[in-house]
Amino acid sequence: MTAWLRAAFIVLVAACREAPVGPCPSPRVAGSAAEQAAPVVRRSPFDSAFASAGAEFHVPPTLLKAIGWVETRWEMVQGAEEFAGRAPAFGVMALRGAALERGAARAGVTPEAARRDPLANIRAAAALLDAFADEAAIDRSRNEQWSGVIARYSEIERPDGRAAYGREVDRALGGVPPQLARAPAPAPTACLPPPPPGSGGAPDYPPGVWRASPNFNARPSDSTGRVHVLIIHTCESNYTGCWSWLVNPASQASVHYVVSEDGNEISQLVHESDRAWHIAATYDCTLNRRHDCWLNGVQSNDFTVGIEHAGFASQGSFPTSQLEASATLACDVTRDRGIPRDWQHIVGHGQLQPATRTDPGPNWPWIAYVHRVQALCGETVVDDSAPFNDPALAAAAVPAAWTASDTTPDYYGGGYRWASTQPDATDVAAFSFRLAAPASRAVDARWTSGTNRSPHAAYAVISSAGDTLALVRVDQTTGGGRWRALGTWAFPAGWNRVVLLRRGTAGSVVVADAVRVRE
Amino acid sequence: MPRVAIVCALAPLIINACGGHEPRETGRQSAAAARVSAPQDTSFAGTTAPVQRAARPGTPPRVLRSVAATSGPGYDRVVFEFAEDSVPGYHVEYTTKPVRRCGSGDPVSVAGAGSLVVRLEPAQAHDARGNPTLAERERALGLPAVREMKLVCDFEGQVEWVLGVVAAGPYRVLASPGPGRLVVDIRHRP
Repeated sequence: MTAWLRAAFIVLVAACREAPVGPCPSPRVAGSAAEQAAPVVRRSPFDSAFASAGAEFHVPPTLLKAIGWVETRWEMVQGAEEFAGRAPAFGVMALRGAALERGAARAGVTPEAARRDPLANIRAAAALLDAFADEAAIDRSRNEQWSGVIARYSEIERPDGRAAYGREVDRALGGVPPQLARAPAPAPTACLPPPPPGSGGAPDYPPGVWRASPNFNARPSDSTGRVHVLIIHTCESNYTGCWSWLVNPASQASVHYVVSEDGNEISQLVHESDRAWHIAATYDCTLNRRHDCWLNGVQSNDFTVGIEHAGFASQGSFPTSQLEASATLACDVTRDRGIPRDWQHIVGHGQLQPATRTDPGPNWPWIAYVHRVQALCGETVVDDSAPFNDPALAAAAVPAAWTASDTTPDYYGGGYRWASTQPDATDVAAFSFRLAAPASRAVDARWTSGTNRSPHAAYAVISSAGDTLALVRVDQTTGGGRWRALGTWAFPAGWNRVVLLRRGTAGSVVVADAVRVRE
Repeated sequence: MPRVAIVCALAPLIINACGGHEPRETGRQSAAAARVSAPQDTSFAGTTAPVQRAARPGTPPRVLRSVAATSGPGYDRVVFEFAEDSVPGYHVEYTTKPVRRCGSGDPVSVAGAGSLVVRLEPAQAHDARGNPTLAERERALGLPAVREMKLVCDFEGQVEWVLGVVAAGPYRVLASPGPGRLVVDIRHRP
């Protein structure tokens, strides 16, 4: 653990706290759980040990507590050797190797006690920090001067890894994470996240933290390189372990975005315009509702944006705050890139690469997730089938006589319904959406096209008061698989409807797939 | 001893039990992995079919900390050693499809007429701070059966090696605990 960074953090944090210009800017994802109590103000099983060891070795007890939180979440770990040459970590403070022995000696305990006994472990860590502080000749009364000591304690080599470690210590202390500046510069502006030095770029997603990965190349310049699918992953590790590995050239892997466990931070590693390395599979449309079969055989990295989520495909659920942060990001990416928000364009890694991957796993809440992305982007979609609808906002009523099908691809949801036109038919497929208050909304319809479709399919737009606002005819022989604008109307509150009429000249069919309502 | 080997090859589910009967190796360091004392018989039948054993769901990733390859009497031995006391799930098979890096999708070629893929899951060859635990991620071997080996995946809890072999001949897989070691023996051509 590199102690450098830890110390730098504290310094900057202290500067932020003392800055006369008020709060540091809210860092990352809006609406996240950033307001949770800082770990150091919570009770821990080792509070008395932090207090006594801090007093004994003249180290702030809150600093010991914060480091313990970052290292082990206040658990007595018995580490295993991670790789040859790196000693295993022990105890609440994750002491290892020579550092453990040195701290133990200064605290007057045996190395074995420092490994197994919580108080001895915390005292050894405090003694080590004490030694580092002495060697650096810091003024211990000035918080910012601890930064180098923390960094040295961390033993992390990479500057950005040190920075992340420092941010974690800072968070544990209750401060707002500043980007790490190389030199202690406790000016109020240190609170503003500047682009990291040498990063060579800024994130496409402004709330994201730019951490450039060298593991990318250019997308194909032809149509196969057009970004139009978002791939959802799980890291199979924690957040820091995830991005820090993917920015290492040795990994030969990367992703555009990594979302932390609690959604409080999102890293961007590769520009969306570049080809990140997050999926090995070549595209096979049979794995994706036969969407865009012309891309079969194209390497899937060529046309996708990847989002990793800290966590595991095997986990039983995903934190609400992580899903919210991810959906906010997904809305941003899909809006910027013109990517439709449906289940052909927002897909799982495991779906496209079933031979070797399952992520994000069976418990990723696909329907709710896409609904949330849609809602954040100001749209509601009404599908022909209930499982794809949010019942609070959308409902469809399609007569049983209308046949269900998924033969023609690029439908919304799991398929569509069709019925033969009849001159005297009175039945309709009704797509209803609820508005909490009167509002103007743009309405789009979607169908799958074919030569047998009606060239004059009629959609009636009906308000919650029962007024028919318009009758719009469309040619369903073309334009399938996309949203086609019907128009914009002022709707009253309540359940408004768009209905597809079956009535028409005999000899063709009308296709009821979905209706979209946009702000 | 041949009986043990055959049982191991045919019934991956009891491989750990087989490993428990193996004599202990002499050294404790990673370099000693090459001398892991799995059965030294030269006449094991082996298989050319996939050999696999899935990890229990929720198992934490195993950290690969060393890989060693040596030539034994009648076979080449590749030993994957983990930081933990047991091995991760594994899937070993010959493939005729192009081998691709799991991040970039770039095809990877290896010397030899056969490609034996060794996939480990959940596993990683890097630590929690983003540092690789293995410096050497490609290795030219030039052994009688195994010509070279390349790490093609270390991403999302999967580690995958491809061994370039002279011919897709019989092999066996052995696992032993404390530290966890996965041994792949590939027979020399007769």
